[in-house]
Amino acid sequence: MTQETYELYRYLNRSIPRLDSEQKVRGELKYLTDVYPEGMLHGYVLRSTVAHARILEISTEEAERAPGIRAVLTYKDIPGINGYGAIVPEIPVLAYERVRYYGEPLALIAADSMEQAKAAAEMIKVRLEPLPAVLDVDEAMAEKVKIHDKGNVARHTVVKRGDVSKAEAQAHLVLERTYRTPMQKHMFIEPEGGYAYVDGSGVVHVLAGGQSPYRDKLQISRVLGISPEMIRVKNYPTGGAFGGKDDATVQIHLALLAYRTRKPVRLAWTREESGIAGYHRTASKITIRTAVDREGRLLSNSAKIVLDSGAYQSFGPTILDVSIETINGPYRVPSYLIDAYLVYTNNGIASAFRGFGAPESNFAIESMMNELAAELGIDPVEIRLRNILRTGEEGPFGNVIRNSAGLEEALNRARSSGIWRRANGSGWIKEGVGVAVAIKGVGFGTLPDYPSAAVEVIPEGKVRVMFTNPDYGQGVITGIAQLAAERLQIPVSEIEVINADTMHSPDTGSSSASRTTLTAGSAVVQAIDEALSKLRVEAASSFGASSSEVQYSGGRFMYRDRSVTIYELARRLRQKGRSLRFEATFEVPRYPEPVEGTLEVPHMMYMYGVALVRAGVDALLGKVNVKEVEFYADIGNVINPSIASGQVEGGVVQGLGYATIEEYRYSDDGRPLNINFTTYVVPTARDSPEMYVEFVKSYDELGPYGAKGVGEIGIIPVGAALAEAVYRATGKRIRDLPITPWKLV
Amino acid sequence: MEVDVSFVLNGRPVTVRAPPAKSLLRVLREDLGITSVKPGCEAGECGACTVLLDGKAVTSCMVMISQVEGHEVVTVESLSKEGRLDPIQEKFIEEGALQCGYCTPGFIVSAKALLNENPSPSDDEVLEAISGNICRCGAYPRIVSAIKRAAGGEKG
Repeated sequence: MTQETYELYRYLNRSIPRLDSEQKVRGELKYLTDVYPEGMLHGYVLRSTVAHARILEISTEEAERAPGIRAVLTYKDIPGINGYGAIVPEIPVLAYERVRYYGEPLALIAADSMEQAKAAAEMIKVRLEPLPAVLDVDEAMAEKVKIHDKGNVARHTVVKRGDVSKAEAQAHLVLERTYRTPMQKHMFIEPEGGYAYVDGSGVVHVLAGGQSPYRDKLQISRVLGISPEMIRVKNYPTGGAFGGKDDATVQIHLALLAYRTRKPVRLAWTREESGIAGYHRTASKITIRTAVDREGRLLSNSAKIVLDSGAYQSFGPTILDVSIETINGPYRVPSYLIDAYLVYTNNGIASAFRGFGAPESNFAIESMMNELAAELGIDPVEIRLRNILRTGEEGPFGNVIRNSAGLEEALNRARSSGIWRRANGSGWIKEGVGVAVAIKGVGFGTLPDYPSAAVEVIPEGKVRVMFTNPDYGQGVITGIAQLAAERLQIPVSEIEVINADTMHSPDTGSSSASRTTLTAGSAVVQAIDEALSKLRVEAASSFGASSSEVQYSGGRFMYRDRSVTIYELARRLRQKGRSLRFEATFEVPRYPEPVEGTLEVPHMMYMYGVALVRAGVDALLGKVNVKEVEFYADIGNVINPSIASGQVEGGVVQGLGYATIEEYRYSDDGRPLNINFTTYVVPTARDSPEMYVEFVKSYDELGPYGAKGVGEIGIIPVGAALAEAVYRATGKRIRDLPITPWKLV
Repeated sequence: MEVDVSFVLNGRPVTVRAPPAKSLLRVLREDLGITSVKPGCEAGECGACTVLLDGKAVTSCMVMISQVEGHEVVTVESLSKEGRLDPIQEKFIEEGALQCGYCTPGFIVSAKALLNENPSPSDDEVLEAISGNICRCGAYPRIVSAIKRAAGGEKG
């Protein structure tokens, strides 16, 4: 193992501020909804106010003649394919034949003013024949009402190993429990939005908050029926995303309106529109049956996982995969049987949300581990130490555990934490401490992933680094710049990042699956190596030496007493008409084939986390007050400790919201009920507990400079850890999130 | 109907013509090019559009432009003097008290209103001052310590 020592690095393991933070505190950073292009039109979306219906008529003639109206588009006006969706392009860009959720787009309008657009929307004649709305997954699976002709199960799969019945027959204890988690809204503070225009050469520019510029570009090209080369997408800066801007939101609509009108168009959803039409986290219902021996060692695990996909599949199929992968935890599970369903309902569209199926399954398996520990009288940390897979062991999905020492270390630190002794309520306030472990794969598992990045050496003294994973707050611009500085041995101030713009950068893929450090980091390091190897030859030629005799250090090539900077070399290359741009493609290490029944399980690289939550419960009011959270994590080598810790802290706060107050709900007829901050309450500063985050020393040789990822790990174990804290405080097991007061009194 | 409204924006007198019920937020963004104020909800819930109105923190989405006549409005753009950042801005950077940054100007303006009135606030007073601001990235502990440090109440 090539475990490197931290002291070697000049620019890594350093908590430098985000490179865009000064612009952010000055209020100078222009988000893409802050741009009001000269001569722009106002985009507006007419949406269904019925959850499930047959479309009888959408007539736009009158609206088209209304003052100030430049375009009114329905499904008939889509030049290419009327479908999008990150995995399967089955989501109508504009509804036709059927409406499957409240808020589904029916028509697009571009007008000189927003008032004119809204007035014209009133003139569109829409006749819908309502159908019963199916809002519950069990009801959907009964298939009395079909949401899609093919049926209401979008995906069903069985993943298994060993003989569960035999294991259960020999077990000391078998527990079966059903756990539920709610739909969660992302509630980023910048609602979905941006602008688009067509330039003089016919290229359609779409600049909007997003997480995957090249996927946006592909989806737009299919719908417009034009080549992806005629489309440019930019997604930076974005005011929060958390998965909710991973699949397309406004991008395709913007492109359609700009393409049709040949004018700049701005389209920005209101908060309520985001609440109605934006994505949300899959609700889950998981029945899990786990068998253990007397010492608490797992013998088998059976699970029926049902995820609510809503009206269409966005990322549903792969979210289901991550929930399958997560249901066995980081544990040695000799036999398992996982029966997993992705089910259509009329509840909006579920899509990616930080953790991507992992928080859902984690709540089930980690609550189960806590219940087993209590039944057996084993310490909850100890039962996990007895079951975690050690380095070199075969994991449940045939993968070899490459290195789990960090998880063991994190558990040991959790065991010796002082937090256990600080739980001392008084009077009506009962206190408890709960623990849960998280595991999350980095990247897309067995799916092929070939991220590319570029660097350009600018003679004026900068190295420009280009990759497409958008920075919507994670700090990836800064982290990748630190990696580049380390590789080049030049100060971070000489690195300039162009982020998430298909006009400048090759396709590095999306910001998702905690993959940016691994993918953009590795591709940028390789592109730098490519640059240095070319520049080395150039330096050698100028020295009249062989390139193997030329040394590189700190931005400078040296031969005997002579030296030349990379910038001087770049200047000479430019004079010779040579390119200063260097690209590389990284091949993400993966198992060649997914485990039978899955699309992408398992991963090669895993992050680990252990959460300890201390909470007080008011026995009279049922109010849960989270006092402190400790989080021990293995994220590999830590590029920027402050930013990485902030990712965990933010994930924990979102996890606490998920576990205590957040639940996106629909009325009986399928109308979303809590679509703004008044009705969908998220944590504020007062809800944020004392937090302590510690990263165990770790180095993963598959990652750039040993780094893995961090974005998702914080949110995953919070629900189960809090539920255990509440149980320790009150004796009540809450098996459905959120843990609201009325469940406790 | 549109009316002329004159007020002082970031120390300079301005006059805008706008419908009287148009929000100060929209006038700032759409007519005056001030985009540090963000339309996170336009319902006074998220605090991303917070400005100082005669020194008090208000959500500009809930103020009609006609109410601003003769008053003084300050946005985050004017907090830094001759390029020098306000101590609150400096501490936000040092503490890593921001992630996506979209809510940041609103938090900084709320903090400015607090520190103008109360130069050494307690933790509880800081929490009260930012109770109308939401940071979905969850940078709260760092925001609180940035404001405390800007107030000069640095602990260790």
